[in-house]
Amino acid sequence: MSAASNGRTATRERVTTWTGQGIPRKEDDRLVQGEGSFIDDMGMQGQGYAWFVRSPHAHARIVSIDVSPALALDGVYAVLTGEEAKSMCQEPFFRIAPGAASHIEEWPLAVGKVRYQGDAVAVVLADTRENARDAAELIEIEYDPLPAVVDGVEAAESSAPILHEEAGTNVAWNGVFNYGDIDWALENADHVVKIDRLHFHRFSSTPIEAAGAVVDWDVGSGVVTIHTNHQMPMFAAMFMGPTLGVPINKFSFSSRDIGGAFGTKIGFYPQLAALALLSKKAGRPVKWTEYRTENLLSSTHGNERTFLDIEVPVMADGTILGFKTRAYDDVGAYLHYEPLGGVIWSQVLPGCYKLKHIKVDYSATLTNKCPVSPNRGYSRMQHLWLIERIVDTVARELGFDPIELRKLNFVQPEDYPYETPNGCVYDSGDLPRSLDMALELVEADYWRARQKELGKGKGKRIGIGVGSTLDSGTNNFGQARIINPELPFSGNGEAAIAKLDLYGEVNVNLGTSPQGQGHETTAAQVAADILNVSPDKVTVSIGFEQANNSYIGFSGTYASQFAVTGLGAVMGAAQKLRDEILEVGAYALGLSKDEVELSDGVCVSKNDPSKSIPFIGIANLVYTNNAVLTPELREKVSLTCRYVYTPPFQVPDTDRKWGNLTLTYASQIHACVVEVDEETGEVKILAYAAVDDCGRRINPAIVEGQVHGAAGLGIAAALYESFDYDEDGQLMQPSFYEYHVGTALDIPHIRTSYIESPSPFTPNGAKGMGEGGGGALHAVCNAIQDTLDKDDAIVYDSHNSWERVYDLLKSGERQAPRGVSVLSRVSGS
Amino acid sequence: MLLKSVEYVRPDSVAQAIEILNSNEGAALLAGGQSLVNILKHRVASVDVLVDIATLEELRFVESRPDGSIEIGACITYDELDHSELIHSSHEMIAWVASHIEDQQIRNRGTIGGNCCLSDPTNNFPPLLVAMDATMNIQSSSGMRQVRAEEFFKGYLMTAIQPGEILKSITVPPVPADVGIGYVSLSVGEDSKAIVRSSAWVKLNGVVQEARVVLARVSPIPVRYQPMEEALRGSSATPEDIARAASVIGSDFEPVADSHGSSEYRREMARVVAKRAVLEAVEKVRGEGGSK
Amino acid sequence: MITQSATQAIEVTINGKTYRRVVESRQLLVHFIRDTLGLTGTHIGCDTGSCGACSIIMNGKLVKSCMLLAPQADGAVIETVEGLAHDGELSALQESFRDHHGLQCGYCTPGMLMAATYLLRNNPSPSEEEIRRGIKGNICRCTGYVNIVRSIKAVADGAQLDMGDGVAKEV
Repeated sequence: MSAASNGRTATRERVTTWTGQGIPRKEDDRLVQGEGSFIDDMGMQGQGYAWFVRSPHAHARIVSIDVSPALALDGVYAVLTGEEAKSMCQEPFFRIAPGAASHIEEWPLAVGKVRYQGDAVAVVLADTRENARDAAELIEIEYDPLPAVVDGVEAAESSAPILHEEAGTNVAWNGVFNYGDIDWALENADHVVKIDRLHFHRFSSTPIEAAGAVVDWDVGSGVVTIHTNHQMPMFAAMFMGPTLGVPINKFSFSSRDIGGAFGTKIGFYPQLAALALLSKKAGRPVKWTEYRTENLLSSTHGNERTFLDIEVPVMADGTILGFKTRAYDDVGAYLHYEPLGGVIWSQVLPGCYKLKHIKVDYSATLTNKCPVSPNRGYSRMQHLWLIERIVDTVARELGFDPIELRKLNFVQPEDYPYETPNGCVYDSGDLPRSLDMALELVEADYWRARQKELGKGKGKRIGIGVGSTLDSGTNNFGQARIINPELPFSGNGEAAIAKLDLYGEVNVNLGTSPQGQGHETTAAQVAADILNVSPDKVTVSIGFEQANNSYIGFSGTYASQFAVTGLGAVMGAAQKLRDEILEVGAYALGLSKDEVELSDGVCVSKNDPSKSIPFIGIANLVYTNNAVLTPELREKVSLTCRYVYTPPFQVPDTDRKWGNLTLTYASQIHACVVEVDEETGEVKILAYAAVDDCGRRINPAIVEGQVHGAAGLGIAAALYESFDYDEDGQLMQPSFYEYHVGTALDIPHIRTSYIESPSPFTPNGAKGMGEGGGGALHAVCNAIQDTLDKDDAIVYDSHNSWERVYDLLKSGERQAPRGVSVLSRVSGS
Repeated sequence: MLLKSVEYVRPDSVAQAIEILNSNEGAALLAGGQSLVNILKHRVASVDVLVDIATLEELRFVESRPDGSIEIGACITYDELDHSELIHSSHEMIAWVASHIEDQQIRNRGTIGGNCCLSDPTNNFPPLLVAMDATMNIQSSSGMRQVRAEEFFKGYLMTAIQPGEILKSITVPPVPADVGIGYVSLSVGEDSKAIVRSSAWVKLNGVVQEARVVLARVSPIPVRYQPMEEALRGSSATPEDIARAASVIGSDFEPVADSHGSSEYRREMARVVAKRAVLEAVEKVRGEGGSK
Repeated sequence: MITQSATQAIEVTINGKTYRRVVESRQLLVHFIRDTLGLTGTHIGCDTGSCGACSIIMNGKLVKSCMLLAPQADGAVIETVEGLAHDGELSALQESFRDHHGLQCGYCTPGMLMAATYLLRNNPSPSEEEIRRGIKGNICRCTGYVNIVRSIKAVADGAQLDMGDGVAKEV
C-alpha cells in the first residue's frame, strides 16, 4: 500500500519547506566519527573518581560503618556516609506525595536503614577508578537484616514489613478513579467478563550509556557545576536545590550528547546530590561512571503493576461498556518521580476505545526493590496493556473477532475531538484505518490462512496479534494535583532562544536535553523555514547548558512532547527574530517592513531584488554599528529572541479527577505474527509492522526511527527482559549476562507505515510521539494468546519467557485455572 | 569493570608457563579471556598473576591424525575453528558449534581450551566434546597425561586440571560414516545463553549400535544420560523410538533452577532437546541432515 | 617473555599512531584507550562483554576492548572509530549510517561501525541474515536495528535496498 494513496495522508509534496523532509541529521557527522561528547568523555582538572558502596541486603538496619580502612588506602581522598551527608543537607528531597508518604525522608545516601539491594550507603573518592573500588571494598558495614517485601500487592497488607517507619504504611498513594457508573453497567450488561489478575512486569529500556556525572562544588563561589547526562536537569536542580541549600542560579548544569535515556535518566538526582556533597567535602571535582551492574541494580526500573479483580461489562453486540479493577503499582523503595505515575496513566483512561464506565482503585506501593522512574511509555503503557488484554480476552471468551471487536469499540474518525470520561480530549486520528494498514503490512490474510493450514499439534503454531496504543504527549502538569492538591504545578511548556550572532550566524538553543531524537535537526528545519535559510545555516546548540540555554521548570526531553513544546518554542522565537531582522533590514534599505522579505540569509526588497542587506549587515547594525539606528530601533531590537511556548491548559478538577491532561494523542497500531514451538514455548516473530499517526511529521525519517525503536524495545521486553527478585529481595538479573537484551538476531525487521492526522491543537499540526505506548508488548501478548486453545489459561503477564508460554500451552491439559470467567445474561452468543 | 590489582606475565613457551604456575600459587592462565575477564571484573575470584598463553604457538594448531582423529590446540579460537577447512571436512559439528557461540567478537577471542577449562555450565563445547568422547591432553612439568572429556569436567568452574598443569590440546576421535552427531540448544535469545542443551553421538547400522546423549545446563557439568542411551541401543531410531527413549528422562533428575528456567521446566526441556539432538544425529547418518 | 609485574610498559599502534605507556596490568584495554590515550570514541555500555559498544579491530580481528587487559594489547595494531574517516572524508559505512538514519543517540554507533566494517571486509556482500549475525554482539536500544541493517546493506556489494517493505520510504 502506498501511503500517498490514502485520503487523509499528507505526503511528500511539501518540497518548498524543510519541515516535513527526512533530511539527514546534523548530529550524525560527529557521532559516526566517535566525536560525540558523552558524559564519560568529560573530566575536570584534579578530579577524583567516585564509587558508591551499595547494600547487599534488600532491607536492613545499618548498625555501624567503619570507613577507616578505606581512608588508610593510598590514593583515597574522602569517604562520605549517609549520616554525614544528611548533616550537610538542609532538608530531605522534595516530596510529591501527600498524606502519610509525605513524611518519608530521603537523603542523598541511606540513613539508618537500607531499603533495597543496591541502596547507596557511602561513596568513596580516590585518585583512580580502580583505587576507589578497592577502598569501597574495605569499608566495614554491619547490617541487621530485616524481612523484605518484594510484591506490590503484599506490600499493601498490614502484615508486610514497613519500609519507611515515618510513613507507617507502604501505600505511598491511593486514589479511586470513578467515571460513569460501572456498577450500573455491570448489572445491566449482557455479559460480564471477569479476569482474576493481570501483571505488567518490571523492566528497563537500559540505554547503552549508563548514568554519569562530573561534579564540582566550588566553595569559593558557591557554584556547583554538574556535567551529567540527566535528561531533565532543571527538574534535578529543583529537587536538589533545597536539600543541598543551593539556589538554582548557583547550579551550573550541562550536558552534551546523551547515550539514550528513555525516561530512565530522570531518577538519579540522589546520586548527583551525593556527588556534590562528596566534592564539597573533598575539595575537588568528582567523576562518577555508572557501570552496567550498578545501573541495573540501582539506577531505575520501570513501573511494575498488578491488576486484580477486573470486571468488564459487554453488550451482546460486542460493545464494551467499561471496566473496573484494583491496580497496585510497585514503585520500589523510594519515590523519585512517584507517585506521579498514579495519575499519568489516566491520560489514556479508555485507551483507544469509547469506554464510558471506568473505575480504577489505584495504589502505589513501596517495596524493597530498586526505585522506579519513567521508562518509555511511562505509566500509560501499563494501563494500555491492561485495556488491550481486556479487549482480547473479551473477544476470546465471547467469541468475537479481536480485530472487529476493536473496530467496533474504537473512537471513530468522526468522533474527534473526542472527550474521554475523565475530560481528556483526543485531538484527531483514524484508528480503524491504521489498524487495516497494519494488518495489510503484516500480511495478516496470508498468515491467517497459514495458521488454519498448520493448526495445532504439529509442533509449531502461528498466532496473530495487534496492539492499539495512544502516545499521549505534552502533559498538563496540573494532573500532579490529582495526586496532591497542594502541589504548585500546572500547564507545561518549553523555552527557546533564536539569535542572530555577531557575524550574522543564526543560532537556536532551547531547554531540552535530547538523547537521540535529533532536536538539532528538527529545530533547524523549523527555524530554517521561518527565516528562509537552509537548515545547514542554522546552528542549534548541542545539549543543554544552564548558563546559556533558555529553560523553564518543565524543560527537558521526556514524555513525547518535543514536536509540540520544543518546536513550538523554536517557532515562536524564530518568528520574533524574523520580525526583528525584517525591521532592521527595512530600515537599512529605506523601505517599510512589509516591503521586505527574507531569502537565503539576506533581507531583500520584494519589488527590487537589487536592494538587499545580508544577515551579517543586520547583525553589524545592531551589535557593532548601532549609532546609525534610530533610538526606537535600538530600544526595540536585540536579535536575541526568547519565546516560551505554553499549551492552552487549565487546572484539572482534583475532586472529580477530571480535566484535559495532555494536549495531543498520537496513535500507533502494531501487528505481529508469531510462531510458537509447542514443545518448548519458544516464540519467534515471523512478521511485524507498526503504523504511526503523529499528525504532521517534521522529519519523517526521525519519526520512523522512533517507531522502530519503540517496537524493538517493546518486543525485547515482552519476550526477553524482566527484573525479578527472589523472596529475599535479591535481583536475579543484575547484569547483561542474566538480563538478556534483544539483539539483532532477536528483533525482527519492523515494517512501518503512517498516516498524518494533524492536531488541531498545536502550532504546527504535529503531535508528540516516540514512546509508542508499549504497542509491541500488547501485540506480542495478543499474538501469543492467539496460539492458545480455548481451555488454556489467558496470557496474564506482559513478560512471556519460553517457560511461561510453555506453561500456558499446557495449562488446558493440566486443568490449570484459566484466570477468567464469564457471566452471561443473554443466550445464544 | 575495575579489577583488583593483578600481575601480568606473557611466557614464551608452555614450559615457561608451567614454571610460572608452579612458582605462584595464585596464578591463573589467561587465554581468550572471554569468561575470565568477566570473572575478574566482578571480583568473584581472586587471581594474583595472569599468565597470558593466548599467543603461544605450541597451543595454536589444528592437525589431523592418520586414524582420522584431529588434535586441536587449546588456544585455537572459535572463529579459527569455524574457518578451518580441516575441521569442516572431518568434524563439521565442531565448526558449527563454534560459529554459533555468542557473537563475532567473542568468537574472535574465545578459545576451545578456555571454553573447557572455565567449566561454566553455559559453555558450548563441553557437552559436544563429552558426546564425541574427546580426550584432553594435559601437560605439566612431569610430562603429558590424557583425560577423557567425560572425566574432565568436575564442577562449576572446576576441572581435572591440577595445579601446575595446562590443557595443551584436545583430541577428537574420527566421525565415520555410520556416526552422526546432533547438537541442540534451547536459548533465551538466538546464539545466546542456553536454558538447556543436548549433544548426541549415535552409531547407526540399521539399528542404534551405540549412543551417547549428553545434557548440559541442567547441572554444573555436562552429564551423560545413560538410561536414554540404553533405551536407544538396538532401536531402529524412528522418531517414535527416539521420543520414547527421551521420555525416560524422569523425575529422578533434578536440574538446577535459575532466572531462565525452573527445575521442572528444564527437566521437560531436557527431554525435548535430547530427543531433537538424537534425531539430528540419526538424520545425519541417514543422509537427511540439514546444513549443520 | 613479558616479565611478571603489576605494571607493564606497552606499545600499541592505534589508527597508525604508536603509543608507549606504562600501565597497571589490571587496566582494561578500553580504559587505556579512553582514559589514558583520550580516544573517547570507543564507548563502554556494560561490564560483561555483552553490548559491543567498546568494539575495536585489533590485529585485524573484531574484539571487545572491555574483555582485554591493556597489556594483552602490547605490540598490537588497533583500529578504532576515529580511524574510519580519512582526511575528513567519511567511510562509506559512516556515510550510509548518516544517510539512512542508522543511529539515534549515537552511543552504540562506534562499536556498531567497527563490527560492520569488519563484517564487510570479510564478507563484502552479506545477506540480511549475515548482517544481523555480524552485529549480534552490538546492542542498540534506539533503532530496533532496522536502519542499521539498512545502512550496512546499502554499502554491501550489489546492494539492493529491498527489505520487503510494501510502503514508500522517506529515506
